[in-house]
Amino acid sequence: MPQLTASIIFVLFALVQGLAAPRSIASPRLGACVVPLSQTVRIPVSPAGASEQADSRDVSISTLLVSKGAVDELPEGPTGFDVLEDGSFVIVDPLRKRICLFNPQGKFRKAWKTGFAADSVTVMKNGLLAVEESGTDMLHVFDRDGVAKPQEAAVLPRYGEARVLSGSSGIVNHISAGGTRTLEINYDRQGSRLLSLQALAEDAEGNIFVAVEGTTAGDSGEEIRLNKSIRRYGSDGTLSREVSDIPLDYYVAPVGELRVRDGKVYQLLTTSSEVKINVWNTNDQCQHDSE
Amino acid sequence: MWLPFRILVMCLVFGSVALSWPQASTIARLPRASRAEIVARAHAIANHGWTCSSSNLNASCSRKYRSDWKAGQRVTGIPYRWGGSDTPELFDKKLAQGLAAGAHSQYGILSCAAGIDCSGFVTQAWGLPAGHAYSTSNLRQIAGKPKYNWYTDMKPGDALNLPGSHVVLFTGYNPDGTINICEASGSKGRVVCHSATWSRFVKYIPLQYKGIDE
Repeated sequence: MPQLTASIIFVLFALVQGLAAPRSIASPRLGACVVPLSQTVRIPVSPAGASEQADSRDVSISTLLVSKGAVDELPEGPTGFDVLEDGSFVIVDPLRKRICLFNPQGKFRKAWKTGFAADSVTVMKNGLLAVEESGTDMLHVFDRDGVAKPQEAAVLPRYGEARVLSGSSGIVNHISAGGTRTLEINYDRQGSRLLSLQALAEDAEGNIFVAVEGTTAGDSGEEIRLNKSIRRYGSDGTLSREVSDIPLDYYVAPVGELRVRDGKVYQLLTTSSEVKINVWNTNDQCQHDSE
Repeated sequence: MWLPFRILVMCLVFGSVALSWPQASTIARLPRASRAEIVARAHAIANHGWTCSSSNLNASCSRKYRSDWKAGQRVTGIPYRWGGSDTPELFDKKLAQGLAAGAHSQYGILSCAAGIDCSGFVTQAWGLPAGHAYSTSNLRQIAGKPKYNWYTDMKPGDALNLPGSHVVLFTGYNPDGTINICEASGSKGRVVCHSATWSRFVKYIPLQYKGIDE
């Protein structure tokens, strides 16, 4: 009897451990760990109606606004976001012409009116926010309290230029403080063709994050089909982690939907009922790490 | 024995001719356009500059209407108007008459507004006149699926269409594998040309205009 009890406790303990700390799984195909989804932050949205009018009360409304569109018109709503140092989110709310701040759990903290609809927002190295106006593509600068700053302060980060060389390879000329270095990308997914590469970010350890689009569809498919992944390369150019098969069922067409902060990959996905922020933690332990 | 078979064959032959004849005549009537002309027209619409005056902020036929723009604002790109297909010349004329600059679907199709929507833009770039009957749902009548590899061999002037939802004009590939497109964008409130990742176009269908002069 005591043995049985001990066994049950052991099994329960193992289950709790397993659930609490999802581990990356080593992928023999990639030689990298495939990183599982760590968390999804959900923020409620309100449907936009014809009676919706921008007014001063908008700064206190805790939901984001989404229009359902119509025949021949795409739905509209939040398309861009970024992540602050403490894991809070800054999200554009274009239909209410405001910028919103949410805590790491997705709880509304505050908002401010911009006077224009914005596509995307970027936290710059100086801590200020660069906000792109939809109607003019002009960059505006704000501090975290919504105070407008001179436009000259807008310096968007650049992480490198990518080039697709073939259906299975490409390069990223990565820009860092030490100069430019070339990262070789091998795309060896069976039956899949490399479509595009995009340098997303570099973290404090010198890891480089690259978005990779590929397709298994040939030229006779019915519609555009593809897969998207985010790869983390070490400072020595070794592929170490991959966030594979990012969800692509966008309801509102994305603009600035991918961000990386402190080794975590974030994706903004606006649906008709909520804004989802998917989080993958590439810092999670990997079987490779202990080998 | 042979009579029913002959009748069947005749029905099939005449039936297929009768069905394909209207489509063939539609294609024969399509304006011809080279790919360079299509892209030039698209850029002309996207680069069309205009200034919003205070009279263009209101729509006389809609009380609910709210403008995307401000008085005195200088804008590049003809504004988005759901159901619209105005040429740059017609748009300028309507603007001077004090019509509203652009409108979204939430206000309905506004006759008192000026601008262009996604299908109006693509068909105008292809050379079709304003006021035609093509939407994203029936573009297949004047554009077919390209036989070449969409991911590597699309040509400027082709389109990416999500029937019933949106259509954009493809203008080229970038070295990083992303694509260049022009579109009448509701969220941007106007016609714009920009680069985009493929992820935005999952489930879209590539189309090639049937009036293309290769």
